Amino acid sequence: MGYARRLLVLAWLALVPAAAAATPPIAHREVLPNGIVLLVAERPAVPIVSVRAYVRAGSVFDPSGSPGLANLTADLLTRGTTRRSGEELDRAIEFVGGSLDADAGRDGTTVGVSVLKKDLDLGLDLLAEVIRTPTFPDAEVARRVTELKAAIRRSMENPESVASRELMQLVYPHHPYGHPVEGTLESVGTLDRERVLDFYRRHFRPDAMIVALVGAVTVSEARQAILARFGNWERPDAPTPAVSAPPPTPSDRTKTIERELTQATVYLGRPAIRQNDPDYFALVVADYVLGGGSASRLYMKVREEAGLAYSVGSHVAPGRYGATTLISLQTRNSEVTTAVEIVRRQMQRMSTEPVLAQELDLAKSYLIGSFPLRLDTSSKVASFLIGVEDGGLGLDYADTFRREVARVSAEDVRRVSGVYFAPATFASVTVGDQASAPKAD
Amino acid sequence: MRRAVLVVLALATVAFRPTPAAAADPVLATTLDNGLRVLLLEDHRNPVASFQIWYRVGSRNEVRGATGIAHFLEHLMFKGTPRYGRGQYSQLIEQNGGRDNAFTSHDVTSYFVDIAVDKLDRVIELEADRLAHLLLDPSDIESERQVVMEERRTRTDDDPDGALAEETSALAFRAHPYGAPIIGWMVDLQRITRDEIAAFHRTYYLANNALVVAVGDFDAHEVLAKIGAAFGPIPRGPAPPPLRVTEPPQSGERRVTLSRQAQLPIVYLAYHVPNASSTDASALEVLSTVLSGGRASRLYQRLVRERQIALSAGGDYSYFSADPYLFWFWATPLPGQTPETLERALLEEMRSLQQELVSDEELARAKNQIEAAFVFQEDSVHSRASLLTRFELLGGHHLKDQYVPRIRAVTAEQLKLAATTYFTGERKNVGVLLPKP
Repeated sequence: MGYARRLLVLAWLALVPAAAAATPPIAHREVLPNGIVLLVAERPAVPIVSVRAYVRAGSVFDPSGSPGLANLTADLLTRGTTRRSGEELDRAIEFVGGSLDADAGRDGTTVGVSVLKKDLDLGLDLLAEVIRTPTFPDAEVARRVTELKAAIRRSMENPESVASRELMQLVYPHHPYGHPVEGTLESVGTLDRERVLDFYRRHFRPDAMIVALVGAVTVSEARQAILARFGNWERPDAPTPAVSAPPPTPSDRTKTIERELTQATVYLGRPAIRQNDPDYFALVVADYVLGGGSASRLYMKVREEAGLAYSVGSHVAPGRYGATTLISLQTRNSEVTTAVEIVRRQMQRMSTEPVLAQELDLAKSYLIGSFPLRLDTSSKVASFLIGVEDGGLGLDYADTFRREVARVSAEDVRRVSGVYFAPATFASVTVGDQASAPKAD
Repeated sequence: MRRAVLVVLALATVAFRPTPAAAADPVLATTLDNGLRVLLLEDHRNPVASFQIWYRVGSRNEVRGATGIAHFLEHLMFKGTPRYGRGQYSQLIEQNGGRDNAFTSHDVTSYFVDIAVDKLDRVIELEADRLAHLLLDPSDIESERQVVMEERRTRTDDDPDGALAEETSALAFRAHPYGAPIIGWMVDLQRITRDEIAAFHRTYYLANNALVVAVGDFDAHEVLAKIGAAFGPIPRGPAPPPLRVTEPPQSGERRVTLSRQAQLPIVYLAYHVPNASSTDASALEVLSTVLSGGRASRLYQRLVRERQIALSAGGDYSYFSADPYLFWFWATPLPGQTPETLERALLEEMRSLQQELVSDEELARAKNQIEAAFVFQEDSVHSRASLLTRFELLGGHHLKDQYVPRIRAVTAEQLKLAATTYFTGERKNVGVLLPKP
């Protein structure tokens, strides 16, 4: 479930905000002497502060053979520092009703703190401790490995988790995106404190970190507070690690996994372009027309007209090393073939016929008009800032997005669909009871 | 999946303590001539608004043989009116950059749209139109029937947590409709007729049985006028019949064991508890946070960290339940641990609460967590609107001002007393899921 949820979060990040008219800068940006990128958005109305630190230490850096290392490292950050034990950290943040979490994704690890304004100093102290001085106690490492294995086992009973994990292996067989962020039962069992320490030392560095503070905090307060805690964190001499992997090639591999379920879960996917590619806007529009909202082709054909699914849709999950185009649906076992045929036909149509003016307008109206909803809470703004900074999209991305989406033509949509929604280029996974005769309900 | 719903309800129970500035924000509260209740709150921080309409009807209003009808009807509310045909409601919202959705609970059916505030007029018009003129076309009903059945398969039939929660709820309630699943039993979903749906709609979807709540960057009086113009002409209907079912006291422990394809067992324990009308409600609320609020909480510390027998464990209370409901405990064992061990561990924790007072730190932390969550919710117009509605449904939106003071007043003795009163063998309902070999 973790991966599917992460993809949804990433997909959500992809649809970055478009503001209304000409807007003041959404945040203040500066680069500290040691390379930390600091972003601050002042929102004084509610006495809370959302802090997000993002470090380029994602599963994409897991050594081959050790998937799950980034994830384990992230999980352990809050399990003990030179100053406080894991339990003391929990008690400190929870006593003030705040939250402190560290999560690894494909590309990076996010360490988030949310506190009432009055507790900002404490929140930032804890943030600095877990990022700069985690101790990875042996007992915690062992405990977390046990828990992760149990969690992976538990997720194996969730068809969506299984489908997304299997799909990513088919889409990225020779690329780090192909392995699950949380690792596998086998690989997690091989992880130990040495490897965690090595990963931490290699990837947790100031010039690989972005920190965003949003809420009841001023630029100067934020700068002073971050400098006080992170200013003397030395930038290593070695260059920041890079990922070297061949660009993924699309394939039409399929896999079926038998499970005793009343429904089948089908996931289709292929690699796609990065968020800073000029065609990305056309891809986002195409994705919305195909399977975004309730007027989308997939929703109308599969759910509304055929009644075959409660859940069906498409989305583009951005990534630093390329996006992933995904289509998913769940339908009763006996209807899988019918439903998938409809899906593939609709994908094909996207490139053989130009989309209708009405469909194009609706997609653009939604993508542009819903923008303010992506920036209406401090925590959403913090996520957005991290996303645009990491993607190199510019703090004026709201305006860029609005302008570029408005320019997308039906021909642009047809052209990018010919590549990124071509059914023959999609790998697919089906999880369900496909072996038995169709079940009566 | 049910647990997620429980967690959402638990989170929704936290109080709303206004900041000094917000305390000056008046809620414009009024009732139209046709009985429609309206609450409006201005919030000028972002150019957005959350518009919500809550109907006082949920699965508690269903009868045996027709369970799931309230939720089915929620789906059908999106299917069209004479003016806005099939699918047009959602398309129009999306065209205007809005996000819409709905949910059905035991007690209510709620529809919301979050949207840029300059598009709010359209939303008001659309909501009034579908309240008054819903078509309920037979072919739409048939195709949506299939969709709802698929939803049941996803949430319950194929989900071990959902399946176990459903069975345990059915066990806990002998008479009250809370024992039936909100999604409905599959046999009922297959059978429900258009006539029954139309009758249900006529009975409960009335202006005088609904609340409109909006929070956003608008002028409250202007919006009230628009709501009056759109909803005012809808005539009042006969007051829906009140629910007169009381669950008889439970007189002994009940158990159910399910066998499913799953990786790990699950244990649920549920006890009958009173709702917010009881003076014990605040204590139960604090108890749920002490037990389950974060990694420093009682169940996480004892079962997950110290004893290392559980992958996850928690407890939950529904403060806003219309009728007395259940206090839930759950635990997922780590591999190698049996459900019996987890059940015993949960019971030991209850005994511990009955015999010893919680520490000052635990009590203070729980109260701080509840109060802080309250402030965090203020950051979203959607949350503000939902919270106002929850309290209004409880008896009046001003009740939210009493909530945090009541939480603050809870003593360790009261927690001990609540645990002693309610977590007894006589009120225990146990659900266990065993993975099929």
